[in-house]
Amino acid sequence: MSIFEYNGSALVAMVGKNCFAIASDRRLGVQLQTIATDFQRISKIHDRLFLGLSGLATDAQTLYQRLVFRHKLYQLREERDMKPETFANLVSAILYEKRFGPYFCQPVIAGLGDEDKPFICTMDSIGAKELAKDFVVAGTASESLYGACESMFKEDMEPEELFETVSQALLSSVDRDCLSGWGGHVYVVTPTEVKERILKGRMD
Amino acid sequence: NCGSALTKMSRRYDSRTTIFSPEGRLYQVEYAMEAIGNAGSAIGILSKDGVVLVGEKKVTSKLLQTSTSTEKMYKIDDHVACAVAGIMSDANILINTARVQAQRYTYAYQEPMPVEQLVQSLCDTKQGYTQFGGLRPFGVSFLFAGWDKNYGFQLYMSDPSGNYSGWKAAAIGANNQAAQSMLKQDYKDEITREEAVQLALKVLSKTMDSTSLTSEKLELAEVFLTPSGNVKYQVCSSDSLSKLLLKFGVTQPAAETS
Repeated sequence: MSIFEYNGSALVAMVGKNCFAIASDRRLGVQLQTIATDFQRISKIHDRLFLGLSGLATDAQTLYQRLVFRHKLYQLREERDMKPETFANLVSAILYEKRFGPYFCQPVIAGLGDEDKPFICTMDSIGAKELAKDFVVAGTASESLYGACESMFKEDMEPEELFETVSQALLSSVDRDCLSGWGGHVYVVTPTEVKERILKGRMD
Repeated sequence: NCGSALTKMSRRYDSRTTIFSPEGRLYQVEYAMEAIGNAGSAIGILSKDGVVLVGEKKVTSKLLQTSTSTEKMYKIDDHVACAVAGIMSDANILINTARVQAQRYTYAYQEPMPVEQLVQSLCDTKQGYTQFGGLRPFGVSFLFAGWDKNYGFQLYMSDPSGNYSGWKAAAIGANNQAAQSMLKQDYKDEITREEAVQLALKVLSKTMDSTSLTSEKLELAEVFLTPSGNVKYQVCSSDSLSKLLLKFGVTQPAAETS
């Protein structure tokens, strides 16, 4: 079994009309055994920037802590929050630092940039960025997620419709993956508010 | 005033920071404190629901590009801030060091660094420059204001020697001794944050050299708990500060023009 499949994960981020959604599954496993059903894979960097980390959970936690360190110092020195594009570059640089002994994570970054324009991107475990205008996926369920998103995605969806789309894409994909599931965690972010919702799907 | 007491003999022991004089003094450290005695003053007051920091801005010129950044107050972490007096470039180095130290602690222990530990860690850095390396000490004094879950609100003062202690009210920079004695008279143990702001502004107005007090010459910041229980560091806006100065009768209102 690949090290990326050790804990199991599913992550997806989608762009809507002046908003974005980022969603993950809630399972934390050790190979075939389920350890937790409330694992947080998505973390807030600041009010308009979210980071999801799929892959090996220990590396995801450590990487997140390192990024908080860097972002906090950035905030203190620049006296402002980091833009999503800048943050993506930072994540990419930190991952490449470990080029020959990498973090076994695949990050998904979603945020609102200048003029409230939604920004999403993903990268591989050594920092190769993939910017997308519609959606990005990561994790053990990524192949199913690609298919589900490709068929369900529409441009310029309003927050409510975006939530429905992301949720359906996530739940149907994790059902085809034994290593991810046990519900979903969806954040829908608009310039004015962040809505966090828990999904109940097949609990297996 | 320790500068005036130096004799010709001291010249032999001035040039190296890392040696004592025959009288057991570290002259470079004392000279650093002289530099701070000429800098803009800062006052810190500990109250039961927060810590107040007020600073006097020495650099006021119409030509200065106004920005949102502060000159005297700096945030070190979400729960700790500081006011500086002395050489600004030295202060910037130490503030950056303090910020990195606070983040390193949080990275290791996943919780905010206790205020005293942060102060001690920074003072250890300052002390290094008085004992080895042959480098001069930093010409900065700090007033640290913060909150942690162990000891609640705290106020610390540190100087170029790397010495620090906790205070209920403290003053650094120009006329700090006059300010300190005024604080000693008027400080009460159960002072509230609003009373502390009033006291700080009153003391600063009396000890500042300038004739009139306006919000352009001052900076005011507070560290307190929000209703939801989180620590917040807030710098007072220029408008609110002007209103406060008027309210406490510490400034002349704008002259009526016909």
